[in-house]
Order: sequence, then C-alpha cells, then structure tokens
Amino acid sequence: MSWVTWRQHRLEGAWSLIFGSLIAAAIGFVAYQLHPANCPGLVDGYCWSDDAAGQLAQKIVRFNIYQYGLVVFPALAGAFIGCPLVAREIENGTHRLAWTQGVTRMRWFLVKLAYVTFPLLVGAAAVGVLEIILINHLGTGANHWDFFDQQAPMTVAATLFALSLGVAAGALVGRSVPAMAVTLFAFVVVRIGLAQIARPNYMTAVVYTTHDLAGYNSAAYPTAWWLDPPSYYGSSGQLLSNGGLAGPGQRVSYVVQHFQPGDRFWTFQTIESVILTCLALILIGFAIYWVTRRVA
Amino acid sequence: MIAPIQATGLGKRFGRTWALRDCSIRIPAGKIAGLVGPNGAGKTTFLHLVAGLLSPTAGEVTVFGRSPRSNLLQLLDRIGFVAQDTPLYSGFTVADMLMFGRRLNSRWDQSAAEDRLRSLEIPFDRKISHLSGGQRSQVALALALGKRPELLLMDEPVARLDPLARREFMQGLTEAVAEEGTTVLLSSHVVGDIERVCDYLVIIAGGQVQVAGDIDALLALHHLLVGPRLAGDTRLPGLDVVKEQHTARQSSLWVRGRLPQLPDGWREASLPLEELVITYLSVPGAGSLPKPEPEEALA
Repeated sequence: MSWVTWRQHRLEGAWSLIFGSLIAAAIGFVAYQLHPANCPGLVDGYCWSDDAAGQLAQKIVRFNIYQYGLVVFPALAGAFIGCPLVAREIENGTHRLAWTQGVTRMRWFLVKLAYVTFPLLVGAAAVGVLEIILINHLGTGANHWDFFDQQAPMTVAATLFALSLGVAAGALVGRSVPAMAVTLFAFVVVRIGLAQIARPNYMTAVVYTTHDLAGYNSAAYPTAWWLDPPSYYGSSGQLLSNGGLAGPGQRVSYVVQHFQPGDRFWTFQTIESVILTCLALILIGFAIYWVTRRVA
Repeated sequence: MIAPIQATGLGKRFGRTWALRDCSIRIPAGKIAGLVGPNGAGKTTFLHLVAGLLSPTAGEVTVFGRSPRSNLLQLLDRIGFVAQDTPLYSGFTVADMLMFGRRLNSRWDQSAAEDRLRSLEIPFDRKISHLSGGQRSQVALALALGKRPELLLMDEPVARLDPLARREFMQGLTEAVAEEGTTVLLSSHVVGDIERVCDYLVIIAGGQVQVAGDIDALLALHHLLVGPRLAGDTRLPGLDVVKEQHTARQSSLWVRGRLPQLPDGWREASLPLEELVITYLSVPGAGSLPKPEPEEALA
C-alpha cells in the first residue's frame, strides 16, 4: 500500500517539496541575515546589511511571505492535496478497483492519509521553527503575537486540520472541485473564528489600569497582546472614550486596557494547536467512517 | 458444497427506487455464469453487493458462505472484480498496474499476470491512458486473474470493445478460468457474448431475477408451441406459459416444460438462447412464475 501511495502521489510530493523548500529557504535566509552577528547597523529599525544579500532579504520581508504565505499554505495543501485523496478515486471510478483488492478500505485510507500527511507536517514544523528564529532576530520591534499563526506548533496543527478537512470533504462530496470550495470556505471560517472570537478568551485577560495618565504607556509591556484600545473613565466611573483620547473639557480619572502577557504566548499556541488537532481527529474519524461505510 | 454466490431475498434500494428486489439465486461452483438484462436492470447493483461495495437493504447474499460486508478482507483475497468501464489508474504504466496488484494481494501471481499480458503483446512500459480499449480490458482482466481468484466478477467487461476484441477477450477468459476451475459471473446485455462462453444464465429485468439455470437445461426446458388459435382462456395443462401471442388463425406459446404428446395441429420448436432471453425480458411478470430449480430443470 505504501508503494501504491507513493506512486499515486509522488507528483504532489514533488510540488510540496519544491514549495516548502522555497519558503523554508526564504525564511531561513532572512533569519540568517537578521542574526545579530551579521548585523552592521539598523535600517528602519531592523538589522540589515546593505550588501546584495541584505537587500534580497529586505525584498523577501517586503513580500511578506513569512507573514501571509504561511497562513495560506495550509489551506492550499488541504484543498489541492487533501481533497483529491479520496475524491479523485471516486471521480475516476478507481475506488471500485482499490476497494476490491486484498486490503481493507480502512487500511487503504489510513496508509494513504499517513503517507501524504506526515511529510507535510514535518515541512510545516520546519517552516514554523524557522519563523520563530526569524521573529527572534527581528529585534525589539517584532512581537510574537503578531505572527501567531505562522509559528510552530500552530503551522503543524493548521496543516493537519486543513488536510483532514480536505480529505473528509473529498470523501463526503466525492468530487474534487466542490470539495476544494468547501474546504477553503470552512478553513477560513474556522481559522478566523478561532483567531477573532476564541483566542482572546483562552485565559482571563490581564487588566492594565492606572490613574497616572501621564505615565500611561502600553509600550511598557512590549511583548503583550493588547486586546482592546484603552478606555478612558471619568471620576464617577462613567466611560468617556473608547479608543481615542477623551474629548476636550472631559476630566479623565483613570484608563483601562486588557492584554494577554507575553509569557502566555506558548500556552496560547498550545491551546489553539490542541483545538485544531482535535478538530482534525474528528474529521479523520468522520472520513474513516464515510470511506468504510460508503456505497460505491 | 458451499456455493460461491448465494442470494436470498436480496434487495437494494437507492432512495425510493429498488434497484434490486427479492433476488434469490445460487451460482454453483465452477460455472461461468452470465448475467443478462437491459440497462438499469440491476446487474451492476447485484455485482456490487457480491463484491462488498454495497450493503443490502433487504435479504442477504453470501460469498463462499460468508457475508461480503462483515468478512470483507478474507473474501476480497478470493474475489477478482472488474468494474464497469474497467477503471485503472490512467497515469500508471502497465507494469505499475501489475505492481499495484502485487502489493495489495497476498495470493498474487506475478509471472502468470506478466505472461498473460506478454502473450497479448501489451507493452509493460506503456501508460494506461495510451492503451486501446481492448488492451485496457485485458490489463483489467490480468489484474483480476493475477489475484488467483476463486470467484471472478465482471461488470460488462466487453461493452466498449469492437466485435473482434470481444471475441478475443472472451476466448482468453475461457482459457484462463478453465485451468483453475474459477467460478465466473459476468454481466452483459449482449446475448451473443454470453452464449459463447457461459454455461449458466441469470436473466434479470426491472430489478428482479426472471430465470436462472444451466443454459443447456434452460434450452431443453423452453419451447415455442405453434398451433390453431386457442379459444378464450383455454390452457394447455402441465405447461407454464411465459408468453403468448395470438393471431386470427394461430396461437404461439412460449412455454416452460414439455407435453408427453402434442395436441393435434400443434408443433414444437426449440428456442434459441437469444429468443429465450428476449421472451423473458419482454414479459415483466415472467419472473413471478415458479422458478425451475437446476436439478428439476435437468431432470
């Protein structure tokens, strides 16, 4: 079965390897350029050399592949590798060939899934770790929270989730292209839902409040994730302004702002990775059920 | 002896439509059985139920005495299945397809499969997508036979082949299964194909089995009687009339069974297989006649 999976999916494997290597090389190159030991001076607050390599690194950063590319990539893997895994067999009728050989559908499915998923997860982990190094080297201007989805283990969990989603959708729908649409849509909904709604509430936010308006400065917590803009309150506790400074003539008594401190970053990474992994396992369970019970 | 295929009250419903209904047949070991019927008759559904690709809605089917759905793995090693349109991986080469069979089947016979394709002069390094329809079917057959199956199921294996390729395919099939005594069930809507290779016949129409039995026995059992016009609802006793047709002067009866002596003015003709099949297919209710048991038919 492993040979069959390799023979069937070696093309996707080659493409993934090329794309993954390009991204990893780009991120690794930038991280290397940013390393303090290679730093002749600061440009725009970043530590760039001004030789050709440094300029290439700046271009890569401006292209933002280390930021957006890593959010999109798992979705593409789910749609273009996950969806066809079962769906293409059903489209071509070859599932009737595969499911009448001397291998159970369960084994057929799990081997295929494992051989396709595992290398992609390793790739996602490698890219995610390089990203951590890059962000560490970006200097004080960079906040890990701003790159939450791009670091390991989130890259791994997101890739696993996207693949499971694609495979399950493909098995259910039985056609690759509609399954891709379903996968991309569901992936975006779940990722945005988790990031916008669930993530700020994994742990109770810390409240930053002070009467010392002159000394109020959220830069005092450079590694924090600020959940809301500062709210200004009057002396009787009434809300004067949410966001911008209080209007003229209003006497601000104190200011309140909520944040997740920087030392919770890895806890949050773990929580969301576990959530995505659990969703992925549920989807795989569903796909197993559907493949083994499916009428052919 | 355990029958390779035994169906009892077997039925399969898709949504509200019964694709197969109340199907009870027994295919004896070593037969090459033909499953004939028009398109949409339930042939594919029946084959898929036997191969474990579908679960029955009603009744049961056993393969070598076991239920395909619960003992799938033990059975799949013993069943060769060639699905309709002979699905193969179009990006694979012929050699890749053989490797596929080898990796997925414990009783795989590589040299037999290779010899088979070599004798047909099918190049091993050619991609499946570049093969002719006949070669494709031959690869699918080699793949199914390479498993050394005890039961070979084929769904319209020659439907897309030209007459010459059909003949060659059927010829090759007969030779291949003769040595091992493999039981074969193949579907077709062309009676000529069935007549050439099969010794057992199942006629299926409208999701129901019309008749099943040894072809020789069926031919011996069925006759066309032609005689003077029968008045009203006169019946000739001792005969099951499958179909009747009357003109002003004469009556024609397609019957099952034989009279010891024909009444005056009547003559009896044998029915060719094609005629027998068409007779059953043209009379939807014929399946509700008491079915002849193979033993009874032979007697």
